[in-house]
Amino acid sequence: MKDIILELKNVRKSFEAKQIHNGVSFHLRQGETVGLLGYSGTGKSVLLRSIIGLEDIDSGEILYHNNRIDQLSEEALFKVRTKISYAFQSGALFDSMNVFENVAYPLFEHTDLSEEEVEIKVDAILNLVAMKESKRLMPSDLSGGMQKRVGLARSMALSPEILLYDEPTAGLDPVNVDLILEIMKKFKSAGFSGIFVTHDIPAALKVCDRLLILKDGVIHFNGTPQEFEESQDDFIKTFSNSDN
Amino acid sequence: MMTNKIRKNLILVGEVTEFFNSFLKCLFSRPFYLNRLYEQIIELGLGSLSITIVIGLVTGMVMTLQFGYGLEKFGGTLYVPAIVSLSLIRELAPIFTSLLIAGRIGSGISAEIGAMNVTQQIDALRALGTSPIRVLVVPRILASLITLPLLAIFSGIVGIFGGMIIAYTEFNIPTGFYINKVLSNITYVDIFGSMFKCCFFALFITLLACYKGFHTREGTRGVGNSAIWVVVRTSMIILVSDFFLSKLLILVFS
Ligand SMILES: Nc1ncnc2c1ncn2[C@@H]1O[C@H](COP(=O)(O)OP(=O)(O)OP(=O)(O)O)[C@@H](O)[C@H]1O
Ligand SMILES: [Mg+2]
Repeated sequence: MKDIILELKNVRKSFEAKQIHNGVSFHLRQGETVGLLGYSGTGKSVLLRSIIGLEDIDSGEILYHNNRIDQLSEEALFKVRTKISYAFQSGALFDSMNVFENVAYPLFEHTDLSEEEVEIKVDAILNLVAMKESKRLMPSDLSGGMQKRVGLARSMALSPEILLYDEPTAGLDPVNVDLILEIMKKFKSAGFSGIFVTHDIPAALKVCDRLLILKDGVIHFNGTPQEFEESQDDFIKTFSNSDN
Repeated sequence: MMTNKIRKNLILVGEVTEFFNSFLKCLFSRPFYLNRLYEQIIELGLGSLSITIVIGLVTGMVMTLQFGYGLEKFGGTLYVPAIVSLSLIRELAPIFTSLLIAGRIGSGISAEIGAMNVTQQIDALRALGTSPIRVLVVPRILASLITLPLLAIFSGIVGIFGGMIIAYTEFNIPTGFYINKVLSNITYVDIFGSMFKCCFFALFITLLACYKGFHTREGTRGVGNSAIWVVVRTSMIILVSDFFLSKLLILVFS
């Protein structure tokens, strides 16, 4: 079995009076893609944000290569975030920069590559998400699906070890969904790991090695796609039949 | 009710101070974004230049008109150059320019950063391993610290020039005499004191605007509300603190 590269132990998180996570524990192995499912508002996005320290957790531990990262200072987290990358649910592109500049941003910030090298690298990534033709466009000129693909490209620019995908396929047409799933598979076959938050169960079954279901602030289910499909748990059965 | 308001304001002061601290921390450590600073100076400085000229010119002309007719009754027209230039350089130019910048830049910055915040672009900066304070706040505060004092002095000079035109056309004060009087009355202390005040105002305007942008919630409506909040607060602070700063300058230099 491959090494565990990310582990959450008993993570709790609340916003004022509202308890979101009530002891979330799971781990991620090298090269593994894990699906994180659950109804809207159960705290999937908050969990991804907590992993890279965009949110402070109340208690529990988050370990990356067996080192705790939940108590690091913001400055120390910058380094972690070049290794664990978060693809935002909304894309969150910088609207003052064009597509190329958005994807080049992390490269200019964290590498010593020359302008030409960055250009080559960005072109390659944009090619992967089929956005190379639009590289001089501004985010406001892009459709929602295109923005998502650029956001995904930007989060892949530094070749992170773990990619946290926040609903990368939501709101896309079937062709685009397949395109994103192909990218995820490529990323995975290159040996990288990922957490795939989605409402799209068939998509999750296609690319994930394991599925997690978040319910009432804890991981209610943790198993392979096969175990998921064969589960006799009432909640899982309703969940997998619902169009959640 | 009252205590609640006081409590809220105390929390605000605490948060702004903390924000200022993180600004200082980023200011004195690498990396620096010189190209962003340059961009901001151009946007802030050149962008505000034309209105600064208009404001300065009109103020100088109106002041000369009022003082000219007011003092004419007492035969004091010859004091007009000194009075106009001193009040322009010491008070009117810095105050008007700062209020203008508070309206233009303060609202602009808070709306821009606020919009970035509600669309998760600030989070994206952090998620990509960079500091939003370093990228967004430091260049803006530095740019305003550099440009506002210069704009104010420039506005004052334009105002003195406007005064000169009115002094000549309305009151027959010879231009040579006017310039002579201005130069013999205005000292370096007046100019640097005025620039010093502007630095204070610049810091307040941009700091509050950035702070508010970072704390903008509730989508698009929040963005508008933040802009209003910043303009009202900073205008008040400029006017009130001007009194104390002027007092301080007088104490120190006389
Ligand atoms: N900054 C915040 N302050 C207060 N509450 C928040 C904040 N961020 C998220 N929440 C709350 O946390 C809960 C979980 O939100 P989250 O966005 O993680 O849900 P989700 O599982 O990603 O849902 P979806 O599938 O719709 O994206 C929601 O009830 C939300 O209102
Ligand atoms: Mg979400």
